[in-house]
Amino acid sequence: MSLSCIIVEDLQVAANYLKNCCEKSGQVEVRGHFSNVTDALSFLNSNTVDLIFLDVEMPGANGFELLDQIAFSPKVILTTAKSEYAYNAFQYNVSDYLMKPFTYQRFIEALQKIQPSKETISTNSASDHIYIKTDGKLIRLNNDAILFIESMGDYVKFVTIDGKKYITHNTIKNLEEKVSKQHFLKVHRSYIVNLHKIDDMRENLLFIKGNEIPVSKANKADVFRRLNIV
Amino acid sequence: MNNLKTPNAFVFNAEIDANYLNSLYGDDYNYLQEVFTTVLDEYVSLTDNIEFSYSSGNLTALKASVHKIKPVFGFVGLTAVQLQCQQFEQICGTVSSPDQLSGEFEVLKNKIFQSKLLIEEEKKKLELFNSNCS
Repeated sequence: MSLSCIIVEDLQVAANYLKNCCEKSGQVEVRGHFSNVTDALSFLNSNTVDLIFLDVEMPGANGFELLDQIAFSPKVILTTAKSEYAYNAFQYNVSDYLMKPFTYQRFIEALQKIQPSKETISTNSASDHIYIKTDGKLIRLNNDAILFIESMGDYVKFVTIDGKKYITHNTIKNLEEKVSKQHFLKVHRSYIVNLHKIDDMRENLLFIKGNEIPVSKANKADVFRRLNIV
Repeated sequence: MNNLKTPNAFVFNAEIDANYLNSLYGDDYNYLQEVFTTVLDEYVSLTDNIEFSYSSGNLTALKASVHKIKPVFGFVGLTAVQLQCQQFEQICGTVSSPDQLSGEFEVLKNKIFQSKLLIEEEKKKLELFNSNCS
């Protein structure tokens, strides 16, 4: 198992130590080290990672400003000691704090906090398709073929790009955990949409190939974070 | 961070918390040598930031620059200096200008300077130790 990560840290000795911990664990692949937010953002504009080890105080923009600007939601482990960031950390759903310098054991504990979610992501993001059970058979649907999924009580309806509709016994809540996080996002308690198929968005509505999908207030911030708004 | 074949043979300067270093690196003295080298490589720029922040009267920057160098001392086992930086940071929060902590600043500045000499000395010892082990 390997989580992909980047290290955003301007203290070289800390970044090197973190790289060593990652290598030693055999669980984390370091895809880059950046000493400022601008360089990290440049990388993340065209790459996704599972995890960011993030210092807060760096020259120029701080670590939280990086999280404001990226279009996906990686796990975040802060590498700072300042307790005054606790509120921000809560807001940004930070998984853990590592107070520099930290022991290898402490590093492993931080990794363990994010493992359950990673298992879900790994299983899902590794696959470009899902199978659904309908009409007594299993049907393969490629992620790219699905426009959106709509709740119908104890059933859900998959609407595909070729205009077909597949109804299967399942729930949006259950599917949210099972579909690819890279492709799909729950935008309403009754809808999961394929982010790559959105044509436009107006007020609290998404439009996908002529279909109007409501976006709930609770999910709107997530939608904005995931859309590649320039 | 591979273990060496000859552990427990290196004797650190008394100011260095050897147990703390062991908790971070085990007895991997080759890696420890790398750490000391890296710390020295970035030491001047870190201390220059502190000096500049103080001389320009920028209290926020002074606090941030001391905060930035603080963990460096932990990485080389100078835990007492790390604590001294922490205390200086706290004092920064109680004054309105760097001029009000000139005494504390001089003490810290001297300590940081002495620490550099100590780190350099330990790095030389580690180089010798590691070359004898290889």
